Amino acid sequence: MSLHLPVLIVVLLLAASYTVPLLDRYRRGLTLPVTILSLITAFISSLYLLYLIGVQGPFVYHLGGWPPPWGIELYIDYLAVYMLIVISSIGLLVIIYGAKDLLHEINEEVLSWYYTLYLLLMASMIGIALTNDLFNLFVFVEISAIASCGIISAKADRRCIEASIKYLILSALGSGCILLAVAMIYMITGNLNFDYVAAALPEALKLYPYNIVIALGLFVVGFGVKSALFPLHVWLPDAHSSAPSPSSAVLSGLVIKIYAVALVKLLFRVFPPQIFEAIPILDVILFLSVFAVMAGSIFAMVQDDLKRMLAYSSIAQIGYIFMGIGLFGGRALTGGLLHIFNHAMMKSMLFLAAGLIIYATGIRNLKDLKGIGVRMPWTMGAFAVGAFSMVGIPGTSGFISKWFLALGALDLNRPFYVAIILLSSLLNGIYYFPIIIDAFFGTKVDPVSEFRDVPALMLIPVLILAAGVIFFGFYPKPLLDLVNKAISF
Amino acid sequence: MESAIFNFLPIWVVMFPFFMSMIILIISKRSEKLRDGLSVATAVVTFLSVAAMYPFIISGEIISYTIFDILPGLGITVRVDILSFSLAAIASFVWMLVSIYSIDYMSHEHGGDRYFPIFIFTLGSTLGIFMAGDFFTLFIFFELMSLISYVLVIHEETKEALRAGYKYLIMTIIGGLALFFAIILTFELAGSVSLNEGTLIHAPSTLAFFAFLSFLVGFGMKAGMFPLHVWLPDAHPVAPSPASALLSGIMLKTGAYGLIRVVFHVFNVSVVKEAGWDVLLGVLAVITILLGSAVALTQLDLKRRLAYSSVGQMGYIILGIALLNEKAMVGDVFHIFSHALMKSTLFLAAGAIIWKTGLRNINDLHGIGKKMPVTMGAFTLAALAMIGIPPLNGFLSKWTLGLGALEAGAPFYVVVLLISSLLNGLYYLPIIIAAFFGGEHEEEHGEGVKVKISEASLKMIIPIAILALSCFAFGLMPNNIAFELSVKAASFLFNGLP
Repeated sequence: MSLHLPVLIVVLLLAASYTVPLLDRYRRGLTLPVTILSLITAFISSLYLLYLIGVQGPFVYHLGGWPPPWGIELYIDYLAVYMLIVISSIGLLVIIYGAKDLLHEINEEVLSWYYTLYLLLMASMIGIALTNDLFNLFVFVEISAIASCGIISAKADRRCIEASIKYLILSALGSGCILLAVAMIYMITGNLNFDYVAAALPEALKLYPYNIVIALGLFVVGFGVKSALFPLHVWLPDAHSSAPSPSSAVLSGLVIKIYAVALVKLLFRVFPPQIFEAIPILDVILFLSVFAVMAGSIFAMVQDDLKRMLAYSSIAQIGYIFMGIGLFGGRALTGGLLHIFNHAMMKSMLFLAAGLIIYATGIRNLKDLKGIGVRMPWTMGAFAVGAFSMVGIPGTSGFISKWFLALGALDLNRPFYVAIILLSSLLNGIYYFPIIIDAFFGTKVDPVSEFRDVPALMLIPVLILAAGVIFFGFYPKPLLDLVNKAISF
Repeated sequence: MESAIFNFLPIWVVMFPFFMSMIILIISKRSEKLRDGLSVATAVVTFLSVAAMYPFIISGEIISYTIFDILPGLGITVRVDILSFSLAAIASFVWMLVSIYSIDYMSHEHGGDRYFPIFIFTLGSTLGIFMAGDFFTLFIFFELMSLISYVLVIHEETKEALRAGYKYLIMTIIGGLALFFAIILTFELAGSVSLNEGTLIHAPSTLAFFAFLSFLVGFGMKAGMFPLHVWLPDAHPVAPSPASALLSGIMLKTGAYGLIRVVFHVFNVSVVKEAGWDVLLGVLAVITILLGSAVALTQLDLKRRLAYSSVGQMGYIILGIALLNEKAMVGDVFHIFSHALMKSTLFLAAGAIIWKTGLRNINDLHGIGKKMPVTMGAFTLAALAMIGIPPLNGFLSKWTLGLGALEAGAPFYVVVLLISSLLNGLYYLPIIIAAFFGGEHEEEHGEGVKVKISEASLKMIIPIAILALSCFAFGLMPNNIAFELSVKAASFLFNGLP
């Protein structure tokens, strides 16, 4: 049983996603429980896998018993399990929230299709985290791209359709790059398995240096588009802000990061270290991340729409993760990977909180949010926690990731990047804090005419995430141990 | 057994206010009386708990341990030495009196349900700063205090208050980030940020200079040091008067406390001297002193004048650090005591006047001393202390600072102290003279008509009177505990154990 567990997680989620439309036809009430149950199972299995690799170390799983180079291989190491836990935990909380929220955001007929797409997305992300095969990676990347598009356009709204088409086109461009890169690697090495490719590349680098450099460049561009690395981010603000709130939460919280992780795997496990001498790809990533961090924050400052502001903030935050990758110096990468989970918590919480506000009042414009904290103290309290974490106030998890990023930058004797991190934190403060101030202080009249009470089921995931932000701000040790093991390539 | 109790006390004095602020928040919806009573009780218990550490600390012991580690080498730690104790004692003492004062003051204002929990919470986080055992813990409480006191600053929720509050908030974030930078540089250079190591960075270098500069920005911002003082004159006057008293009297001192710790525990006297950073501090201190005092002269709003005066007074404290000798340090720590007492007296008295009459403009205060003799009497006492009239405490701190400056071979600083005293006189004395001898109603009542005394309520008068009397009691008096503590703290900083 335990031997098949890695693939079973993916299979279970895929099976559930195909069952949901069937259930929708015959037992509509069961669609949601099946979705939630399968995600709970995925979460528990991820924890079990963590225990398993703690006992026996990282292991490989051969799909269908076919050994590589013929069969597909899954590699269950700490990085994969870390991502599994991030994806399944956040994914579970978001869908619990979505159970109520989606009822009013999308049509009832497409509700079960939404669950299908959601589960597909989860399955494909877990697949990306686990796979050890280039072509398999591409397949999962494609599934997740289509599923992401689906959960954006599920809302029958002109802006959503437009945003999802924009996303589809750019994402297809990214997929094309990735496919091309995979093809080039296959052409050179004759292998698709990560380990086999990694073994062949140092030799091949001498024969075909340009092909490998181009393949690497295509990977960076492909995954860069998908994870919205500046200046390839243009699709993100539309897509993430117009989508239904649960979609925004998973898209900003999880989807853009899994591609960054895929890139980490390729950069540090597949490509030989000599490649960094041939082409300063890490420096390129680093420069782009600096622009991402600054530009994302500056764009966010001028937004009027709450969710659009959060979307731009995601561009800045993904910049931190790429900065950790670019500063590949031990502690910076720790910070970058820690930030994957920390930002997943913060940003999905912020999007869900924004969703709660929209659910209760219908207000999206920042100027109209004055005094909202009086009506929704818990929601805005959670929002405040998220904002503090974004700024990096100590005691929140955002501080820990910034701490490690900054230490990593100092280890490499590059205090410039510390200054960038701090400057962007200040910018974060400048656009997040006025929202909180306006929400709680300054207005004595209640601005909201129509107010719908928020169901507890929607509020609880937000509060759990807020508690998580504080908990991991004071006790990051379990995460830190996991991440430190994950980056020992 | 005994030391176990003392080990527990620092956690208690921080956690108890935190816990009580939650209780007060819940209770305030039920009963206002209970809310007020609990707030005062919390402040009193906290002060007594701090005071209970006295016998242990005065015997030269240091309470120091780690509560838990957040990251390797980085955790929540506790450390109480004589300097921490001195500051915690004065903070909780003033807080206790202000809590009594707040009851009646806030009954005229809106939002008492928000004010009291925040008030008590700020007490906990301020004490947390003083009890912190390393810069990381200190940083957490520092940010907590700075952010939470935002609510006190904007309490009135007027446009003016919100604007001042926003300025305060942005400056606080900048200061916090500067501290982050400083702490991470120190951590990178030394591998630790604990206060127990003695000296963390032993030699000046470019990175060390950046660390020092960032510490200076972070803590100097809070201390109202030039040119980072710009938020202070806006933020302190708009807050409710009891909150202004704490902001000016106590919370500014956290910045000074941080700077003392930086000079003596991150670096040490010889490193700072070798690198010449004391000159930088000295120059900034002189500008701060003169600028604060000079601008105070031009202010017509009573509380704004007091706020600018705070800028000037914080300059003394920074000067005391810059002089880097033991005598100056005695004056420095003692001035922290003095200024906490003087400035909170002044702000509370100003608050009583505003509460009773609604007057804030200095030109309108003619003859107020006849109506409110006790309040203005206290104001006068504290103002005279500010100017440095013996035997009040302000004289003693200036005298000791002056001796320190002479010992450092810098009589120039003594001149600065004298000029600033003169300026203090110029802006405080007219208020007092007008209050007692100028009569606004002379034309109407004629001479000899007795002006009816209408003081603020007793709950407000008593704290003011106690604070004013302590300006006297901690002056040139025998058994001056505050001065003894300052001497011990200074000798501890320079020579290790007292």
